[in-house]
Amino acid sequence: MKPLHWILLALPTLGALALQLFGPEHPYPKPWDKIPLFYAAFGFVGCVLIIIVSKALGKAFLQKPEDYYDRDR
Amino acid sequence: MTGIAELPPALWMALAAVLMVVLPKAARAGVAVVVPLVALALLTRLEPGTYLTAGLAGFELVLFEVTKLNFVFGVIFLLISAVAAIYAWHLDDRTQQVAALLYGAGAVGVTFAGDFLSLLIFWELMAVASAWLVFARKTDDSVRAGFRYLMVHFAGGSLLLGGIILHHAQTGSLELTALSPEQGLPAWLILLGVAVNVALPPLHAWLPDAYPRATVTGAIFMSALTTKSAVYVLLVLFAGWDLLIYAGVAMALYGVVYAVLANDIRQILAYHIISQVGYMVAGVGIGTALSMNGAAAHAYSHILYKALLFMGAGAVIQATGKSKLTELGGLARRMKWVLVLFMIGAFSISGFPLFNGFISKSMIVSAAGKAHLDGVMLLLLLASVGTFLHTGLKIPVFTFWGQDRKLETRPIPRNMYVAMGILAFLCTLYGVAPGLLYSMLPFEAEYHPYTAYHLVETVPLLTFTFIGFWVLREKLAGEPYLAVDTDWFYRRSAPWADRLLVGPVNACFAAGAALRGRVVAFVERIWGNPRAWFRPGRGASETFDPDAERKPLAWSLAAILFFSVVLSLLLYFGR
Repeated sequence: MKPLHWILLALPTLGALALQLFGPEHPYPKPWDKIPLFYAAFGFVGCVLIIIVSKALGKAFLQKPEDYYDRDR
Repeated sequence: MTGIAELPPALWMALAAVLMVVLPKAARAGVAVVVPLVALALLTRLEPGTYLTAGLAGFELVLFEVTKLNFVFGVIFLLISAVAAIYAWHLDDRTQQVAALLYGAGAVGVTFAGDFLSLLIFWELMAVASAWLVFARKTDDSVRAGFRYLMVHFAGGSLLLGGIILHHAQTGSLELTALSPEQGLPAWLILLGVAVNVALPPLHAWLPDAYPRATVTGAIFMSALTTKSAVYVLLVLFAGWDLLIYAGVAMALYGVVYAVLANDIRQILAYHIISQVGYMVAGVGIGTALSMNGAAAHAYSHILYKALLFMGAGAVIQATGKSKLTELGGLARRMKWVLVLFMIGAFSISGFPLFNGFISKSMIVSAAGKAHLDGVMLLLLLASVGTFLHTGLKIPVFTFWGQDRKLETRPIPRNMYVAMGILAFLCTLYGVAPGLLYSMLPFEAEYHPYTAYHLVETVPLLTFTFIGFWVLREKLAGEPYLAVDTDWFYRRSAPWADRLLVGPVNACFAAGAALRGRVVAFVERIWGNPRAWFRPGRGASETFDPDAERKPLAWSLAAILFFSVVLSLLLYFGR
């Protein structure tokens, strides 16, 4: 990605940060609402975790050759 | 006109299916589009109420009952049946066209049924009709998958039937009313039967097994009808069952994990049906007015964008003949419009603001937060990270960009673009004007999707999911493997079940046949040629041998004559 792309990604993030800091209070606030850009970290870590955990499960147990179910025929 | 409107939509669909059997090709496509739309137009004229009852074997059946809740589902089922029929306009396959209409009839039949027995009848109709959309692909692989699909659904239907019988024995009523866990076995059996159709792991494996193997057009109907009609039944019968909250969260994440491993584009989409239906199941479990509205709204939105995504994937398969990420790539320039339309579906399912996933998914997430289920709320948000990751990034990046495999693309029928265009329009329309959907929702709960805190939640979440993907994108490329799922139990055990159950029966019949053969041989040897009795030791001969056989024949004839005369005399004088 070019620098321009990163800037385009930063704009909505900064906008959301501004809304979080200066926008209206959440009607039923959660403890994590006070952490600036909590959801950015959540998205990034979640994404990485999903990929790593799923791939590990796949390698350890789940992935089989494509003809796995055809061998008994 | 109200007289006609009071006929159940399932009847219209079933009549259309019967017409299909005799209509020529040109008329069939039109009927498949127009009839659901007519049924929809008639439905919108009706107020909630009961419109058709019937007696069957002493049971009072409620075949057509409109409530605020089933109205939403009926509208979307009829709407999607019409749009899917536009997508299938070019098709010259009577079987599929009949099956699709019967399947739609089953789905709206379930939706408007007012008692357990009619529900069950339509439930089974759905299972049988939809299986034909898998069989119609006509490959060995599809026929096998179709039979697995059918057997799982028959098993589910049997659980449902068992539950209904016990429920009737317990309460003496077949009326569709909410069940509670205290009712014991009947309620739990019914829940298990419905759980099969809602694709609740471990009973879900039929879905990612059969959907990628269905026909390009058949998969659209399947993606819309079976699981969502089951969500409707959950809303009616199991609202507020705590278990469903956790089952729903498990579904939402289960689909995400398997979507990482899947290689077939329609299988990735299929696993994300499980994930999305998980939100709805959790919404049913939370059981508040907001969460149940969320479940109904999300079913409505989900049907629109998931059908659009399946249409996009189907267009790729139609054009290239390939369905695996490891065989696709570099189609962006050649299939520009498919890409654009697919991305609208992808933005919708990912919950981007201004698209229809956002206005319904956020309802369920907010309802979880409002009910102080913080863990549930965060796990559902985690699942939506996975949704964007796979449907919004993995599929399009590796299908339309990625390694250019120089695939030849056949042009796809124009009607496919029309259908996708309609759905893309609706996904955006409901996203921009959520009131159109909210005004149909059954329960009283105020909700505003476009608020500051929903944007604070969604925008950074999606942005950083993209960044996470970008960093690890190479890990997400398709791999030429399959991931074993719970269908392992019935697919790998099939040879053993065969040996255990079919083997002994076959052996028994074989032994019977051998015994029969021996008896026949014995009887033939003894009785086959009675003449042989007269010349012991010399065996039977085909020709008459006077030297050997005249004497014994003469003696036996004389003996018969003698005894006949004696017997006649005895009978005459003995009276």
